[in-house]
Amino acid sequence: MVDFQNWTPMTITKPDISLPRGVSDFLPDAAAKIGYIEGRIRRVFELWGFRRIITPKLEYEDVLSIGMGEELKGRTYRFDDRQSGRLLAFPPDITPQVARIVATRLNNWPLPHRISYSGRVLRQTEIQAGRSREIFQSGVELIGLDSPEADAEMVAMAVEALQGLGFDDFKIDMGQVEFCRGIMAASGLQGQPLHELQQAVSRKDSSAVARVLSANSVPEASHREISALPRLFGGREVLDDARRVVTNSRSLAALDNLCQVLDILEIHGVSDRLTIDLGETRGLEYHTGITFEGFVSGLGEPVCSGGRYDNLTARYGFNAPATGFTFNVLSLLQALQHRPELEASTTRDFLLFNRRDDRREVLKVAHLLRSQGYTAARDIIRRDYDSSLEYARRMNFRCMLVVGDDSAGGGCRAVRTRDGRTLTLTMEQLQQNGLMKFIEESQGDE
Amino acid sequence: MNNWITIAIPKGRILEESVGLFGKIGIDCRELLSDSRKLIFENADQRMRYMIVRATDVPTYVEYGSADLGIVGKDTLMEQGKDVYEPLDLKFGYCRMMVAEPAGLASSDDPAGWSHIRIATKYPHVAESYFAAKGIQVEIIKLYGSIELAPLVGLSERIVDLVSTGETLKQNGLVEVETIAEITTRLIVNRASLKTKHRRISEIIQGLERVLQAS
Repeated sequence: MVDFQNWTPMTITKPDISLPRGVSDFLPDAAAKIGYIEGRIRRVFELWGFRRIITPKLEYEDVLSIGMGEELKGRTYRFDDRQSGRLLAFPPDITPQVARIVATRLNNWPLPHRISYSGRVLRQTEIQAGRSREIFQSGVELIGLDSPEADAEMVAMAVEALQGLGFDDFKIDMGQVEFCRGIMAASGLQGQPLHELQQAVSRKDSSAVARVLSANSVPEASHREISALPRLFGGREVLDDARRVVTNSRSLAALDNLCQVLDILEIHGVSDRLTIDLGETRGLEYHTGITFEGFVSGLGEPVCSGGRYDNLTARYGFNAPATGFTFNVLSLLQALQHRPELEASTTRDFLLFNRRDDRREVLKVAHLLRSQGYTAARDIIRRDYDSSLEYARRMNFRCMLVVGDDSAGGGCRAVRTRDGRTLTLTMEQLQQNGLMKFIEESQGDE
Repeated sequence: MNNWITIAIPKGRILEESVGLFGKIGIDCRELLSDSRKLIFENADQRMRYMIVRATDVPTYVEYGSADLGIVGKDTLMEQGKDVYEPLDLKFGYCRMMVAEPAGLASSDDPAGWSHIRIATKYPHVAESYFAAKGIQVEIIKLYGSIELAPLVGLSERIVDLVSTGETLKQNGLVEVETIAEITTRLIVNRASLKTKHRRISEIIQGLERVLQAS
């Protein structure tokens, strides 16, 4: 059999430069956009009083496992540590790391903790799907509070961040894992039938739900609850629909809890952003209460997700209720890709082109621009005016600044890359506020 | 733009049945039945868009959100395991996914004793997980059509395939030995669409549900 992986025609002797599937190089434009998105999110986190921590990229697998469910464990990259002989792992999720840090390093500090993080995790994915194995997470954890206000704070922050990123058409879909668990527990189903039922509910497949129900005997009240589950999604009216059919106390308590959170979100003024899905079971295994996911139109996967996890820090020896959520930065990038604000983040302000051999003036001008906060790069290569302008265009500079042009009367000449218009600027004008705006809006020299 | 609903539908019988079904809830898409090579149809009044795609591609368009809704056989969904909602069984396109083998083999065969068997199929994932759940090791041979041929020429002993009337099996001297699943056509929904356009989509689901219960 031909080994296509290592197969190259005899005449070509290039080195193999392939990357493993599911990872990418992010070139300057994409990296600038990611930086923009992360920056906006981080600013929201800061404004709500969250402080960043940085977690290690490697942990002992058994330590990390304490805080992970079966699903995440199965998606963790693991390998031998030659030094210790123990198994190492790349964290597939940052929340268990935060739980460990809070339980073991911050356990003497006063509660609550408001912690944010921004980093990359690795997860095994089905190779066929071609999905990214590297996930950019920017998230927060609010630890030490079991109050509905804490859950509401997470949702309100998610809304604020998505609005700040310029989304106008998005929904935060809320659920309460205890609602589903209450119904499942009341049914008395176990093993294979329970698994089938959970699968059917997660797909909202009412006919499969009906099939499981007809093949197994469940109490009549449970029958009604389960049958309703795949259709309990929509606006706030869903809570009333649920109350009409649900009788088990665990699910009713979950409804009360969700109601309290929704009331607080009303005060935050974000109610029109919310949808409710009581049949959603996609949260991670460590979730214990309110969960939510953010959806923007036109993108199949959620852009953020999170929820309450009251038992996680206890697994590391410190009992504290907690809630949190994280953004999937690459999903956001995909949704925002061509927005003007993101495109703008890929540009630089000035390329400096020197007409003279003496570089003193051009370096002075560059310093002047940078001190006003403009990005300014020198075109150190010796080439003619047209080639430099071409380079400036290709590399997304907004303006080429020609220094040392005798016809500019001791000033500089700005060349707008977008249309090639030129504008003569005196040294005084170069130091005025709103220089770039002035150049962008000018009609140019006649 | 965001009020539009896009539906991915495969050509053929599913298309005809779907057009009829949607007609009953006031969504007129008879235009799709015209003998056109167009792949996309729009109805601006109803803010509906229809995409004609291959059946096996329907779940992909829906999972990625290029289409909000899709109409596709349960066999394709089982094979691909995509993360989409499938709220409605549309009841048409009934058939069975089954294991079949030559009549001569079947007369003396005991499925309980199967071990390391060779299966030809269009549905490698379904076949593999079905036999794996029973603890049977299988060698899967992926084919793209005329599966019934495989046992006749010794490519495999058995096949996993869809059967509706059983006529093709019979003509090729095969008999059904085990049923894996009953297959019907499903309405599938993109996860984000169900949330961001839940009013319109719920209306469609509820409308279709009423029509299906009445029939």
